[in-house]
Amino acid sequence: MSLFVAEDISISFGGIKAVQDVSFTVEGGEVFSIVGPNGAGKTTIFNLISRIYDVDQGTLTFDGQDITRVPTYVVPEMGIARTFQNTELFDQETVLKNLLIGCHVHRQSNFFSDLLFLPSVRRQELAFRQRVEDVIDLLDLQRYRDQVIANLPYGVRKMVEVARALCVQPKLLLLDEPSSGLNPEETEDLSFWLEDINGDLGITIVMVEHDMNLVALASDRVMALADGALVAIGTPSEVQNHPEVLRAYLGD
Amino acid sequence: MEVLQLLISGISQGCVYGLIALGFVLIYKATEMVNFAQGDVMMLGAFVAVSFVNLLDLPFVWGVLATLMVMGLVGALLERLLLRPMIGEPHFAVLMLTIGLGFLLRALAGAIWGNEPRALETPYAGEVLRLGAVVLGYENVVIMLGTVVLCTLLFLFFRFTRLGIAMQAASQNQLAAYYVGIPVKRIYSLVWALSALIAGFAGVLTAPVSLIDPLMGFVGIKAFAAAIVGGFGSLPGAILGGLLVGVVEQFAGLYLPTGFSDVSAYVLLLVMLMIRPQGLFATMQRKKV
Amino acid sequence: MRFIRKTHYAQDINLFRHRGDVFWYGLLVALLLVAPAGLDRFYLGEFAQVFIYAIAGIGLMLLVGFTGLVSLGHAAFLAVGAYTHAYLMNLGVPLPVALACATVFSAVIGGLVGIPALRMTGIYLAVATLAFAVIVEQVLTHWVSVTGGFRGMAVARAELFGMDLGRPAPFYYLCLLVLIGCMFAAMNLLRSPTGRAMVAVRDSETSAQSMGIHINRTKGLAFAVSAAFTGLAGGLFAHRIGYLAPDAFTLLTSIQLLLMVVVGGLGSLHGVVFGAIFIGLLPQGIAIFRDVVPPAVAQLPGLEPGIFGLILIGFLIYEPLGIYGRWLKIRLFFEEFPLYRKATHKRQKSFLKTERLR
Repeated sequence: MSLFVAEDISISFGGIKAVQDVSFTVEGGEVFSIVGPNGAGKTTIFNLISRIYDVDQGTLTFDGQDITRVPTYVVPEMGIARTFQNTELFDQETVLKNLLIGCHVHRQSNFFSDLLFLPSVRRQELAFRQRVEDVIDLLDLQRYRDQVIANLPYGVRKMVEVARALCVQPKLLLLDEPSSGLNPEETEDLSFWLEDINGDLGITIVMVEHDMNLVALASDRVMALADGALVAIGTPSEVQNHPEVLRAYLGD
Repeated sequence: MEVLQLLISGISQGCVYGLIALGFVLIYKATEMVNFAQGDVMMLGAFVAVSFVNLLDLPFVWGVLATLMVMGLVGALLERLLLRPMIGEPHFAVLMLTIGLGFLLRALAGAIWGNEPRALETPYAGEVLRLGAVVLGYENVVIMLGTVVLCTLLFLFFRFTRLGIAMQAASQNQLAAYYVGIPVKRIYSLVWALSALIAGFAGVLTAPVSLIDPLMGFVGIKAFAAAIVGGFGSLPGAILGGLLVGVVEQFAGLYLPTGFSDVSAYVLLLVMLMIRPQGLFATMQRKKV
Repeated sequence: MRFIRKTHYAQDINLFRHRGDVFWYGLLVALLLVAPAGLDRFYLGEFAQVFIYAIAGIGLMLLVGFTGLVSLGHAAFLAVGAYTHAYLMNLGVPLPVALACATVFSAVIGGLVGIPALRMTGIYLAVATLAFAVIVEQVLTHWVSVTGGFRGMAVARAELFGMDLGRPAPFYYLCLLVLIGCMFAAMNLLRSPTGRAMVAVRDSETSAQSMGIHINRTKGLAFAVSAAFTGLAGGLFAHRIGYLAPDAFTLLTSIQLLLMVVVGGLGSLHGVVFGAIFIGLLPQGIAIFRDVVPPAVAQLPGLEPGIFGLILIGFLIYEPLGIYGRWLKIRLFFEEFPLYRKATHKRQKSFLKTERLR
């Protein structure tokens, strides 16, 4: 059974159809990329999956459960974590605190135990910290641990966002343009980390990406969109050479 | 007939709220700053008018014009001295700053003019206009007419003058306005000047019907409620919200137990925020990611 | 400059970072404990007042500084706590029970106010809380059977196990004890998921949601907790002033509370204490000021609120980080002497981030 299924999803904003009748499936364990010109509806699809927008029609199924109408905050609990195109970090806090917030879905404590900081809360905090440190080690963020986000360069922030999403320990990771704003060196690092995340941690990745080299290198399958409609799905080379895709990018 | 009478005095009071609210909205739209001291600026305007008309014995019309000019200057000065350093600071900080400014203006007015209530001498004091069974004080007629005239002028200003259009541009996108060569900072000063001028005008209009003292600026809070009811960020909304608050207040005073009249503006605000948080004329949207 | 060698994660979790902290805070508490021996009644009263301000300030700081929700109506919660406490005390309910009830009732009211507040942000919320406070003020004035209306109501003598808590020294200890308890509670919240959720909501709602944080629940909780602390402070405040009337809980009071957290330093619990000391000492300072300046100035009506406004404006323009921020800079100056550079804390000018999309 597929990990994630989108069936005929559509949404429009004030008469403009941002996404119309798009269907696709994501298999467990793969890296699935979404490509397309600006305004094709890629980020909108992410916002639909993470339930920031409501679909007008169609269904979303994750891990056998219908998530079309679940509240936004439940999505990460079910195992979907995401990053944002222009980074949405907690700017006035340290990297460490940001990542600890990423652990929030695994919270067992409640308000009253927090108020008293019971031993169980302390144990939970230690466990969270251990998890955070594992992620920090994986993505090489050690030297930024105690720095406030607002003081960090953009490339590092992007990686911190990936790290924060990993702290959720998701089954499905949504990366919105992970390489935008990164220099070539950082982009190369990113491709290795994608491999690690996908291969070692076994996390399924869906990413929106403009860098075709990275897409070709990292992804198992690619979906191309244009003007909110699906154009082609297939292996990177299939999609890259698809006549409709070429037309969408280059015009007639 | 009582109802009609109430309605009219509500509308006239509402016009004053509306004008103050207009000042709020103008500043907010252009600079995204919230000037909580707008009511106190109005108070200042009333006192300045008293100085010109009562103390310096200028003819009424000239006194009013002088007041408007002084208030425009005051507005620009406030922007330059206090608000300019706050560009780019969080909204909350600006809000607090203008609250502080309100305290300061009140103290200042108390120091200069004293805490005794005063009244503005007007050529039309005490005269009434009879329309059938309805009796209208000239003060109220002037308030309503004044509001209509000012709103028309503002509409023409924003619609047809270069400056007005530049102000609109600056309010819609600061950065883009910079890029097309609009001097955004100078526009800000002008917006503050304009809004202080409007507040001063409101002060002059309301002076004959309510006593002038340093605490009269507190109606600014009701006007604020009015601005939000109208949909913060919409100029017609501000006037409409003001009228609504004014009328509701009058009727609450008559039909509900004591105390309700004072809070009716706030109750209206809370109800509005619950059923239609974006106000009558919505201009807000949610942030995009 | 002290470098801390971290060998265990617990060091980041513990309330005190190192022995030095334990020593200095311990010394502070010890000094406060022996203070009544050497201070006269007047100053004990003033200290108690500062403690009460600090308790209320913790509540407001959690809301404004950590959850990013501005309240212009916190005097209302202070009033709810004070009146509930006084009403129960006058019925003969023992002090701890009455105080607990006042806290819980304030929390409930805070939660209820929080519900409509969930859909609002920034300025809307500030004005809605202001509206709420005005309404509460009217209720206090007109619900004569409970509140005594304009005439107000006397507060029964504070008594516990036959001990008279109304006298300055015991009341001082009571306030100190409650303050320390509240401090620990607030620090615990801030180092655990509850506090982190608040901070997350403050910095980015969108992202908080996507991290599994229930925004409405967090905001509602923040309101309730904030109101609880402030209500608790209100209960103590009732004893401090001895006679409750609506004019003790006006807009000015709300703004005084806000002034406290802004001047102290937003986003830190240290700031609350600094702010409380500042607000507590301000009336004395103004009295002294009146003595030095010529009588013409000293007699000016509205001098006190004017000075209020001036201080607020001064801090916002010149030291937005508050007294605590200034304190950190001064400490760093001495720690790094002579290497301190003025630019270390230079504020970065940012472009206005619009909250609108249009």
